[in-house]
Parts: sequence; C-alpha cells; structure tokens
Amino acid sequence: MQQKRKGFALLVSATMLVGLLAGCGSSDNNKEGGASPSVEVSKEGFPIVNEKISLTMMAPDVGLQNWNNMAVLQQMEEKTNIKMVYNNAPKDSFETKKNLVFASGEYPDVFYAAGLTPAEQMNYGEQGILVPLEDLIEKHAPNFKKVLDENPGVRKSITAPDGHIYSLPVVEFNQPWYRNPMWYNGDFLKKLGYDKLPATTEELYTFLKRVKDEDANGNGKADEIPLSSVNLRDIRTWLLGAYGIYEEEIYVDDKDVVHYTPIENGYKEYLTFLNRLWKEKLLDQETFSQTAEQKKAKAQNNQVALFSDWHAYMTLGGEQSMDDPMFAPVKSDMVDAPVIAKNRGVTTGAFSISSSNAYPEASMRWVDYLYGYEGALLFNKGPEGTLWKYTDKASLTKEYLPVPGGGDREDYRATLTPNYGIPAPTISIPETSKGLLTEFDSWVENESKTKLLDKGARIPYPTLFLTAEEQAEVTTLTSDLTTYVRQMEAKFITGAEPMANWDSYIKTVNKMGGQRMAEIYQAAYDRWKES
Amino acid sequence: MVTTFKESKRDKLFLALNYLYLTVALVLVLYPLLYIVSASISSPQYVNTGEMWLFPKGFTLDGYKLVFDNPKIWNGYMNTVIYTVLGTLLNLVVTLPAAYALSRSDFVGRNLFMGMFLVTMFFNGGLIPSYLLIKNLGLINTMGALILPVAASVWNIIVARTFFHSTIPKELQEAAHIDGSTNMNLFIRIVLPLSMPIIAVMALFYGVSHWNSYFPALIYLNDESKYPLQMVLRQILVLQEMSAETTGAAISGDIAEAMNNKAEIASLVKYAVIIVSTLPIVILYPFLQRYFVQGVMIGSVKG
Repeated sequence: MQQKRKGFALLVSATMLVGLLAGCGSSDNNKEGGASPSVEVSKEGFPIVNEKISLTMMAPDVGLQNWNNMAVLQQMEEKTNIKMVYNNAPKDSFETKKNLVFASGEYPDVFYAAGLTPAEQMNYGEQGILVPLEDLIEKHAPNFKKVLDENPGVRKSITAPDGHIYSLPVVEFNQPWYRNPMWYNGDFLKKLGYDKLPATTEELYTFLKRVKDEDANGNGKADEIPLSSVNLRDIRTWLLGAYGIYEEEIYVDDKDVVHYTPIENGYKEYLTFLNRLWKEKLLDQETFSQTAEQKKAKAQNNQVALFSDWHAYMTLGGEQSMDDPMFAPVKSDMVDAPVIAKNRGVTTGAFSISSSNAYPEASMRWVDYLYGYEGALLFNKGPEGTLWKYTDKASLTKEYLPVPGGGDREDYRATLTPNYGIPAPTISIPETSKGLLTEFDSWVENESKTKLLDKGARIPYPTLFLTAEEQAEVTTLTSDLTTYVRQMEAKFITGAEPMANWDSYIKTVNKMGGQRMAEIYQAAYDRWKES
Repeated sequence: MVTTFKESKRDKLFLALNYLYLTVALVLVLYPLLYIVSASISSPQYVNTGEMWLFPKGFTLDGYKLVFDNPKIWNGYMNTVIYTVLGTLLNLVVTLPAAYALSRSDFVGRNLFMGMFLVTMFFNGGLIPSYLLIKNLGLINTMGALILPVAASVWNIIVARTFFHSTIPKELQEAAHIDGSTNMNLFIRIVLPLSMPIIAVMALFYGVSHWNSYFPALIYLNDESKYPLQMVLRQILVLQEMSAETTGAAISGDIAEAMNNKAEIASLVKYAVIIVSTLPIVILYPFLQRYFVQGVMIGSVKG
C-alpha cells in the first residue's frame, strides 16, 4: 500500500511530464509507473543513454530462439545502453495475451510488432495507455521523420482521427504485390504450345480447358486441375481485376468513388466466369475445403496449371525456376484493360510506447534506428560477418557468407534477429539487399514490373483510420456481411444458388448494410484526401 | 467361451450383431490412432495428398529425428513431468482429506461447505479477473501459476466423497474411535489404505489434466524455459499455421521463403509430436485401468 502511494506521487509527475512532452494535455490518465527522468538521453549518436536503463518489451514470438540470445538484440543493447526485458507470447495466441495485458492495467514499456489494430490504437490512445508519438518523432526520430517527409502519404495513413500518431508502421515500398501473384506451370504452357500468355478471360478459359482436355501433364489420365485455390482468397483479387474491380471488399475507382465489391456488376460477372470454370471442372472442386498443404501436394503431383503463391517453386516444389511465368492479369469485355491492385506499403501498429514507460525519448531513439539503413540492415539481415559481408563498403554492396553449421539460411537468420514472421517496425530500403539478389530475384522483379507495375497497378484503397463510430459500425456490419457474402460466393460458383437469384442476393446484402459500407469508406476517403 | 446351455437362434443373432457392433466401434476408435502412427513415419507429401490413408507410405523417421533433436521438446517434457508430479501430489493432498471430511455425517456444517464448493462449479470470475488475481498474488511467470490455481477440482472432490461415503461405513469409524484413534490417525491408517482405487483414479484424472493443460501456461508464463510440453508442441504447430495464414496475403519475401521451409518441416513433425506427447499417458492407462473401472463404478453405483 505504502509503495502504491509513493507510486502515485511519481505517477502524477510522470503523467504531467508525459503530457508536457507529448503536448497533448490528456487529463484523466490513471496509470501506474515510476519515472526516473534523471537519465540523460543523447540527441544523436550512440549510446542513447549514458546510464544503463531497462525497458520491458512485449512482442510475439515464433519460438525459434529465445530473444535474450539473439545476436541482433544483444548488439542493440550494447550499442544503445538500453536493456530490453522481453515479454514474449507465442505468435498464434498473442492476441489473447495482448488483450489480457491491456486489461490488467500493467503495461509493458513498448509494444514491438504487436500488430495493434486501428481500433486498438484509438481506444487505448484515447484512454492514455498509448502515448502520442508525433512530438517524439519530431525531436528524437531523425530517420523516421525523413521517411515521413519524403512520403507525406505515410503520415496521413498513420495519424488517428484525433490528430495523434499512436504507433509506428511497417514501411515496405519495394514489395508491389497486394496478394501473392498467380503463376503458370511452365511445362504445361510449353506442352500446349503457348508462347503468349492468355490476355482475356476467354483466352484464359480456353487455356484451362485445353489443360484439362489435352492431358497437359502427359500421364494419360485426365487428372489435371487447371486452376487450384484455397477458398478463393488467394486468387480472387487477380480475377476481379478483369472486371474493373481492384479489391475483394472496398476499393476506390479512378473518379474517387468508393465501391463495395460484392454488390458490383463486375462481381457478378466474376461469379459467372468462375461458375463456368467450376461446371467444367476447370476450377479445383476442392477449392472450398482444402488446405494450403493439400493444394501444394496436388501441384507437386504435377496436376495444377495455374495457382497462387509467393514464388511458383514453393507450390510446384523443386528448385527456383524461371520457367514458370507470372500470371499477367487478363481483361474481360467489360473493360479496356484489367485493373491491378498494388500493395499499400504501410501497415500501422508495429511499435507503440505505453504510458508507464519512463523513457519515451530513449525508446523513440531506439526504434528510430530501425528506420535507417544501418538498423534496417541489422534487423533484417543480421549482424555483419555472420550471414553476409561487404564486398564494397562504399557502394554498400554485399555478398552472402556460407551458413554457419550448413543449415538453412532463413532458419539461421531466425536465431539472430526477431524480424522473422512478425510485423516488426522497419523499412525496406533497396540498398539493404544490394549484391544479395540472385538472378532469380531479378527475374521475379522484372516479371512484376512488366506484368503489374507497368500495367498501371495501384493501391486499391489507402491505409487510413476510421473514426471510432465508423469503426464500430463497420465492425458490426462486416461480421455478418462477410460471412453471408462468402457463403453466397461459394454457392453461386458451385451452382448451389442459380445466378438468377442475383437480384435477391443484392437486396439481402444491401439490407445487411452493403451500400452503407461504401458510404462509410467514402466519407473516410474524402477526409483522407483533403487532409 | 463356455456355453452351459444351448443358445437359441435369437441369442445367436444377438451375439452376432453384438460382435458386428463392437467391431465397428473398434474400427472407429482404432483408425485415427493407426492413421496418426502411420502418418508420423510417412513422407508428408503422401499424407497431404491423401495417398497415405492407412499404412505408412514413403517411410521416413525424419519427423522423429527433428523432434528428438529439438532441445525445447526435452525441456518441455521435463517441465511437464514436474508440473504433473508436483501438481498431482498437491491435488491428492487437498482432494482426499476434503472429500473424506465431507463424506462424514458427523462433520458439522458439511452442507454449508459443500454448498460453497458447489457454487464455484457453476460460477467463476472469468479470464481477466483470474489473470488479475494471479498477478496480484505474484504468481505471474512462476511454476506456481500452473499448479496452485487448479489444486482442487470440485468435480473430483464429489467423486471421491461419494466413494468414501459408500465404502467406509460409519461403524468402522466408531470402532476406531473406541480403540482410541484420533480422526487423523483414522484417515491415514485405516481410510487411505482402504481407498487405493479412488486414489489411483484421482491421480489419473488429475495427472492427465496436468499433462494436457496448456491454457494456463499460455496466459501466465512469459518465460520459454518454463513452458510445458503442450506449449512447445503448439509453438511447433504455429509455424504451420503461419504458412497457412500467408495464403493469399502478400508479405515480405524473407517471410514467405521462411514459411515455405517451415511448412514442410511442420507437417513432417506434426504427427511425430502427437505420438511423442501422448505415448506416456497411453502407456500409463492399462496399469491404472483396473482401479479406474473399479473406483468410478463403486462411487456411482452405490452412491
């Protein structure tokens, strides 16, 4: 009790201090926390603090290495003089643990890769649990500030409707894919004598049909599965593009009008097309029931002609191969050219500072390092001399070193750095991988450039915050809508529901708030556009 | 089978149907077990395509090799053994005296206490209050968090109470008292030796629940070195989940590649891990089964 009272006095001063620093003057913060602001935080250079300080960090963990033993984090501690005490929870149950921690009233000092949703950011930001970061960014984050200055869109995307920034994002501009691309099985194309990829939905249909009828895998059996998918989630966006639709749920067209996809005419055409594929068994008949592993197993059995994955070889098996071309978006009669979605490049919620953090400035400097070349390199590729070394330091060219112990490179990397499989605060800078790209990497890059980027790929709908009310309404609407829409999609495609019932489907969706979804996102988009 | 009288046609029909029914039941129970054993020594490719459906195909022991090479699994094993042994001992120490006391008719206020116990069966504080309680007790990230909160299960107390009630007659208690025995003496010297079946049953109930539990570990532990086996298994399976999660969603290339590698290993390890983690309990069952049937039946039939 005694301690609590003492804590309270400290808490008041801490609250005032934080309020002052952040310039937000939020009034009713009732949090715990002892501040010892005596430590000097250096403006630039390392170490960040002259006296060793300790912070608690909450982060998801993929369970390959104890974070205390990660070389990158050890180096970071040495460099910055900030000791992080890791509070990890397994990635799959991280959500549960995160909610518990927020409810418990005892917060870690920083959240790393916690994937805080916009709703969480606003909610906990308003309660004062998360500290507004904009002033800290201004004063203590030169690297991140540079990112914001160079990309005004990023600042717009991470600012909550109340004008505060509660979290730092993952910034990834080099990765253009909105969804994993689709790939053709190169052998099948060759067998059927294709030297030009299908460019329209009709040509695509003919190709798939021929795969099935002409025994593309040459085993004498008609066991080909021309188009395979898991729940359509992986191929939906690519096919919708043929009907002028950028994304499966919400997109904005070229005239700044926001659409809710499931009630669009193009969506109807898409269903009709897939229904046709389904009827002729050109679309995997197990699309709605199989797992990703089962799909892969079929592909490795040399049965699949067209599928989606990060790289073709991951599904087809074997070594990286440049013989399996990327799917070039096709067009229907509805449009002059297919539309193509591009990755947003910004994911919010990657790093936040809590109100019980006694050293917000030092924390901001710590994370800011990760938004510069050196820090991004350290966290994404591991320390110099372990998995890579410079061949020419002046031009930042590097080469890979053999993996110590001879195992898998990625497995080894996962024991060095936390940035593995989690949405960690970082930025992708082309220089980081200079010299490390293989011929295959360049080939893939060229495929996406010529087939997607040069064909006018763009972001379907910007990353932005809804207001608290909008968010609440959308959450309520989507929970029912998505279930219904996905169910009906499957029914229309498999023929369980005839396309003749489209009108009554539209009526039901609109009754459930389909049109309202478009309105909400339209309003949010207009605000974003003006800001 | 010894037939002492001639079976009628209907008896024969009954028997035949009985055997048929039992065979079906046996297949239903045995098939998943066999499938897992076969899958654990088959190449994952065949398992995923469904080509392996009963007997192993593409024989490989790589799954087991990966499991046994993983130091975390051994550490988890050790932790689980500690939690199970300590936890079960504590469970018995708490449950048996409570159940015995509640079974005695001369125990003043037994209905009140029983009522209090029963309330907790139907109402509890919920996840967050429980978390706050454990936190304020200073048990977060300690082994105690996995053992103390589950020290007594009301359900098991009731089972044990019914057993004591029906097998230890009041006369025995009176006779002991006349010979000058105290209540404690009576419990330790007379009641416990007579109650081996229920002790075995309780040990099994509690032991299995400790062995299989992961949720408290998930919530209360932050330190990997304290994770029980089930948590480690979950972590291994998470990797597979992650690869499924990336279906369709473009992420960064490093992650995609990593997940691709992981997915193969995870599907290889999955079944081996299931075998390794359940085997000890499966082996334990036949030895305790004798008591198991006896103990539960006595409690339920006569109670």
